[in-house]
Amino acid sequence: MMSEKKRRRVISGFVCGMLAFLFPFLWLQMDADAESDKAKEVILRVCNWEEYIDLGDWDEEETIDLDSGNVIGESSMIEDFERWYYETYGVRVKVEYSTFGTNEDLYNMLTLGDTYDLVCPSEYMIMKLMTEEKLVPLSEEFFDKSDKNNYYINGVSPYIRSIFDNNEMNGKKWGDYAAGYMWGITGIVYNPEEVSEKEASSWKVLSNPAHRRQITIKDNVRDSYFAAVGAIKSDLLTSEEFVSRSDYKDNLEMEMNDTAPETIDKVQEYLQDVKDNCYSFETDSGKADMITGKVVANYQWSGDAVYTMDQADEDDFTLAFAVPEESTNIYFDGWVMLKDGIGKDAAKQHAAEAFVNFNSRADNVIRNMYYIGYTSVISGGDDGRILEYADWCYGAEEGEEEVTDYDLSYFFSEDEKEGEYIITAPTEQVYRQLFAQYPTKEAISRSSIMVCFDEEQTKAINQMWINVRCYNIHDIPGWVWALVGAAGCIGAVLSIRKWKASYRG
Amino acid sequence: MKKMKFSRKILGIPYAAFLLLFVAAPLFVLIYYAFTNGQGQFTTANLTGFFSDPNTLGTLLYSFGIAVVTTGVCLLLAYPTAYILATSRLKAKSVLVMLFIIPMWINFSLRITALKEILTWLEGNLAYHPFLNTVIGMSYDFLPFMILPIYTTISRLDGALLEAARDLGADEAQAFLKVTLPLSLPGIISGVSMVFLPAMTNYVVLDMLYNSTYIMGSLIGSYFAAYNWHGGSMIALILLAIICLFTLFTSGMEEENTRGGTLL
Repeated sequence: MMSEKKRRRVISGFVCGMLAFLFPFLWLQMDADAESDKAKEVILRVCNWEEYIDLGDWDEEETIDLDSGNVIGESSMIEDFERWYYETYGVRVKVEYSTFGTNEDLYNMLTLGDTYDLVCPSEYMIMKLMTEEKLVPLSEEFFDKSDKNNYYINGVSPYIRSIFDNNEMNGKKWGDYAAGYMWGITGIVYNPEEVSEKEASSWKVLSNPAHRRQITIKDNVRDSYFAAVGAIKSDLLTSEEFVSRSDYKDNLEMEMNDTAPETIDKVQEYLQDVKDNCYSFETDSGKADMITGKVVANYQWSGDAVYTMDQADEDDFTLAFAVPEESTNIYFDGWVMLKDGIGKDAAKQHAAEAFVNFNSRADNVIRNMYYIGYTSVISGGDDGRILEYADWCYGAEEGEEEVTDYDLSYFFSEDEKEGEYIITAPTEQVYRQLFAQYPTKEAISRSSIMVCFDEEQTKAINQMWINVRCYNIHDIPGWVWALVGAAGCIGAVLSIRKWKASYRG
Repeated sequence: MKKMKFSRKILGIPYAAFLLLFVAAPLFVLIYYAFTNGQGQFTTANLTGFFSDPNTLGTLLYSFGIAVVTTGVCLLLAYPTAYILATSRLKAKSVLVMLFIIPMWINFSLRITALKEILTWLEGNLAYHPFLNTVIGMSYDFLPFMILPIYTTISRLDGALLEAARDLGADEAQAFLKVTLPLSLPGIISGVSMVFLPAMTNYVVLDMLYNSTYIMGSLIGSYFAAYNWHGGSMIALILLAIICLFTLFTSGMEEENTRGGTLL
């Protein structure tokens, strides 16, 4: 039995411990009570790609001096949004901003219990989230063109809008659930002194023995799969007969997303060749290695291609961008709202949609584009500043000798009237940044989206990827086995002798 | 006295809580995932899958190969260095030891990036020698972990033993082989375990030095990226088992050697 005194001591010790443990919580609770007037504040949890929004703090000389006024990022887009939201709607919003590295990472974060209200994955992940019914549809007000604060619907490029409205997942339009943010295509950044434009204009460049150990490819199963399909079906995809068919686009999409077992086998074989032929599978080093000249070509997303060429220009090193003839992957990153986060909270949903709208305002679009290098889905509508920005970036200086008229009407014009929106650019830009930032209509015409694979397909291509990347035990040469065997025998003999010696001792 | 015991128990609570929360709990989660399938049912398919897949076994051996070669290289470089450092009569000895520690203060990825540039300058194109580069990178990274324990054991060595060996007629080489080397074994063993185990899983070095073949760490990552938590957990668990075996084995050897040392 415990003595009364001892028991009291134990109890008081326990209570003290509990108090010490709970104190921070109690204190926080009191703090919350004290500022109950803040209770109206909306918390918006946003998760976006790393380095995918303007974080402000620009130097004075970075000011973009358009004719219609200067654009400069002084503070971060997130702070600016909080301020703007309070000024416009009179409600305080606090954005909790975090980032993710890959679509798969984001998906894992969501399934492991992280809650976000607004996230920005790529199209195939949006489709996956749609199938799993994890998304809240955008509200009707969001599409109301009469509200001038609805910058997204008033500014989104008609071309992008038609893609978002024509693609369906389980009978539902993408556009009902996702608002586009950035888009682009995939292609090859190359050094024109080492690689010809013709070589770089085919996915087969990746296995080209003339550039053995000089080309990097993406360390990512979906992108690598796309390129490999393009390479193994090259003859079919570039044949006159295939291209001239009336249902070319649908067929192309089907061929590029083909997961028949024979195709997967061929892709595996091809990627094994690529592994032996390429410099490396890279996640992030490709850009730097391209600029320093370690490699002569690099499989890249167009936004990163712009960045790479810009950086190389600073060292007076000229790089170019090519879009393979077979097909190119057109990708979109879009804002979607999650059921887990938004639920039925109307105030939160309003703030989330306002965040999308604020990032779609022409000056903010320019800030984001300047900061991250990717191309926004916003063309500006009545606001001409985005085209003006493109001209500010790539337009020819007065008195430039070789210039070309670069037609961007497919992106900017409401009715796709050709010749309506034209930038007069130095001719070299047709193969460089301008081409990567706003690809020509001709390049876009052979683009295909990546569809979301179901569980079986995902499993099959992941197994293929592991087969490519892993060292197969059957490939181990005989002398290694002999060596291991010899080492094992010596070890066994030594330990037996030692054991015998200690036994005798 | 009783009061003292009581407060001791209380002092232990934070660490016990830490262990429970960050060591035991994740381990249970790992075991749970390793022995279940997507529907949450018990299965040993992940275990049999590991040992019947030529890729996972090949990767295990490849990681093993890298770890063995790296450890060998580190040992060959570290032992003479530590020996010279410990036995030299230089006054600036501590400065020399510092020189080996200082690189550890510099960020790891920065060091590997610098190494990448040096190797590119030497080799021209890194992609032709992925295995060699990986071994160089890992040895460069882990060398201090091998030098320090060996240095410590050798410098603690009782000089009288060496004198006795010489008095009994042993020459330099014999004294080294019969006295110094056996007595420095504990240092070698702790150095080996500090190099071998991380070398099996540290895939960042491979990524940064352009080795496109997976080792155990990257294989687990690729399973997770494919949402296959179960297969990935099983690989992690098997790796853990290997590490446990290795540690048991080496600590057993260490014990035996300290016993031998005191007998001597």
